[in-house]
Amino acid sequence: MTAPALTNNGATARARPRGSADGRLMPVLLLLPGIIVLVAVIGFPMLYSLYLSLTNFTLTTARNFHFVGLEQYITLAQDPIFWQAFGRTVLFMTLAVNIEFAIGLVIAQMMAKAIRGRGGLRTILMMPMMFAPILVGFMFKWVFNAEVGLVNSFLSTITGQIVTIPWLIQVPLGFISLLVAEIWMSTPFMVIILEAGILSLPTEPFEAAEVDGASGWQKFRMLTLPMIMPFIYTAMAIRSLDLARAYDVVRIMTNGGPGNRTELIWTYVNTLAFQRQNYALGSAMSYVTVVISFLFTWYLFRNVMKSRWEGK
Amino acid sequence: MSEEKKISRRNFLRIGGLVGGAAALAACAQPAAPAAQAPAATTAPAAEPTKAPEAKPAGVTVKVHAISGGSYDELYKIIPEWEAKTGNKAEFVFKGNGFETDKRLVQDFAAGTVDYDVCWDHSSFFSQYVKADGLEPLEGYWTAEELKDFIPRLVDATRTDGHLWVMPRHYDISCTHFRTDLGDYKAPETWDQFKEQALKMTDAGAGVYGTQFAGKEEALTGRFYEVMTAEGGQLFNDKWESTINSPAGVKAATMFADLYKAKAMPAEMTNFLWEDVAKNFANGLIGQYTEWFGWYGFFQDPANSKVAEKFDLARQPKGDGNIHSGWAGHHGFSITKAAKEKLGAADLIKHLTSVEGNRVEGKTGILVSRQSVWEELIKEAESSSRPLDKKRLELALLEAQEDFKTPPLIAEWLPMSNVFYPIMQKIILGDVTAQAGLDDAAAQINKLMKDAGY
Repeated sequence: MTAPALTNNGATARARPRGSADGRLMPVLLLLPGIIVLVAVIGFPMLYSLYLSLTNFTLTTARNFHFVGLEQYITLAQDPIFWQAFGRTVLFMTLAVNIEFAIGLVIAQMMAKAIRGRGGLRTILMMPMMFAPILVGFMFKWVFNAEVGLVNSFLSTITGQIVTIPWLIQVPLGFISLLVAEIWMSTPFMVIILEAGILSLPTEPFEAAEVDGASGWQKFRMLTLPMIMPFIYTAMAIRSLDLARAYDVVRIMTNGGPGNRTELIWTYVNTLAFQRQNYALGSAMSYVTVVISFLFTWYLFRNVMKSRWEGK
Repeated sequence: MSEEKKISRRNFLRIGGLVGGAAALAACAQPAAPAAQAPAATTAPAAEPTKAPEAKPAGVTVKVHAISGGSYDELYKIIPEWEAKTGNKAEFVFKGNGFETDKRLVQDFAAGTVDYDVCWDHSSFFSQYVKADGLEPLEGYWTAEELKDFIPRLVDATRTDGHLWVMPRHYDISCTHFRTDLGDYKAPETWDQFKEQALKMTDAGAGVYGTQFAGKEEALTGRFYEVMTAEGGQLFNDKWESTINSPAGVKAATMFADLYKAKAMPAEMTNFLWEDVAKNFANGLIGQYTEWFGWYGFFQDPANSKVAEKFDLARQPKGDGNIHSGWAGHHGFSITKAAKEKLGAADLIKHLTSVEGNRVEGKTGILVSRQSVWEELIKEAESSSRPLDKKRLELALLEAQEDFKTPPLIAEWLPMSNVFYPIMQKIILGDVTAQAGLDDAAAQINKLMKDAGY
């Protein structure tokens, strides 16, 4: 039996010659089941969809399709609806994340100060998160219905006139309606993460600031905000990724319409791949979207890591 | 920390290189398949039934993939009778609504995973299955004598490429519904009159819109199609080039846009599908509109409808082409090419589309496919206290015999519709002019058809 060897950072390592075949194979063998599963459920479908995006595959030509190179990507680049959907998704994501963050931070700050009833309030706040997004879509479709919707009924009551604003049809009301539904559904998530961050902060810096005569706003701006930055980035990263693949609520409320007025990336992928049965073009668009999402995630996580180091 | 990062990046690049290489190899490995053959025009000579096989199967299990729900299931109640008579068995391997059933069929035919003998079919959908080589031609299983009783236009609507593909079970066709309690309004005979009357019927104070249309998906494309064809237009010319932007197309699209702009249609119309428009009419919000006959029972039920006994039905208006609109479709059954029990499948379909089967469906208010059963149904309706009951049946039969018009019998109908309807919505909402929108639609449809091998 050999004594455990010490690595250069002081941790113990297994007593095994580094260069032996056994030493090299063991980690590979241990990782193999995981690698096989990943290749089967992620790698293969992704490669296959990449391959499909280079063909002219449609459901009705499933047995008679051929390689067309980058034709689908060129078609996509020339499609104005794609670029509009892309821009709208970025705008949707930016507005939703920032509004959710602003509302979430205010509520989290207030809840962190509350002495009694915090638990009950937190439970009530979490309720929107308990609904399936598809149900939230149906609910807000009714809320914004022109003839019998809650919003128009309310406006009719206070104005004394019949109000039939087509919320889901007009520009930019359709987009705003989707935004309201998404914010309603997901702000509680922001609240919970940010409140956890605020409650985890050490009390000493705040006590010292108090002694120095700092105002509430100064304490918030100079202490709370920088110290919860990792939480903010984490919450925003998760929500951004969520919003980049926003589909359920939009599918039910407007399905990207009318006339592509509220088209987002994933509703358009659905239109191309499943409604027009053009799987090749749908795959090409999915690939472009996934690459963009990947870059965005990398950027966000880089900032999360950076803020964590800065926090330390 | 930095060392770990370096290794990780190198590994990442290595894996990335492998993945990219594999993808490139996979992409290049597939030999280029020949381009899709342009299908023959739907005007190919119709298949004449040959002599039907005489041997009747016994003791076999016929697997069925079919539509289900509501009145569709009534017909399946006669299956035990067939099982007792023949010694065969029918086993449902899938039941779902029309869209689910179609989706499964398209996927099964594409993947080659068909393990059933009989499948539900529809005049708007079957061309996809034919193109995917999923169906068995039926002319070898039905004699001319056996087909004689079916409404000819229904049978003709499933003949393409020189073959017969679907046996019709029942159908539905557009029909003008108009309120009789709003004033002295008559059935519009032309689409121009329809538009004029819709504008007159609109009464914002009373919450009544002159008309409406289902405003998305195939529902909108189909309504546009039937108005355009009545105006003398066609979707394609002989070379399968889109002619949707013809003057007839522009006139039809302009009618929709004008009615919307004049607020003669609900503002949310572009979000409506079949159930929405039917509910609006039943709630008394609509003066006149084009609807399927199938909703008649719902409209005449005072428990659900405010317009019970307060509306009339009329043949669809004509257009400048002097043709009545008549967008129609029928449900039926087909035999799959992969069927193991083709004779048993044919025998089951004959039972389901028999006089007896039609009688069962006819009693539920569905429009059936056999002319002999129509005579019985109309005779029965003479004793009804509501004269419209009989008129409805006579009108439905007349329209089936003279106006029954399916969309083009091509696999690309639904994808084409999905390209077209968002553009039509833009025209209705005033985002583009009718001419500009239809020009764009024609260009996109031409690309779709070219990609499909036409």
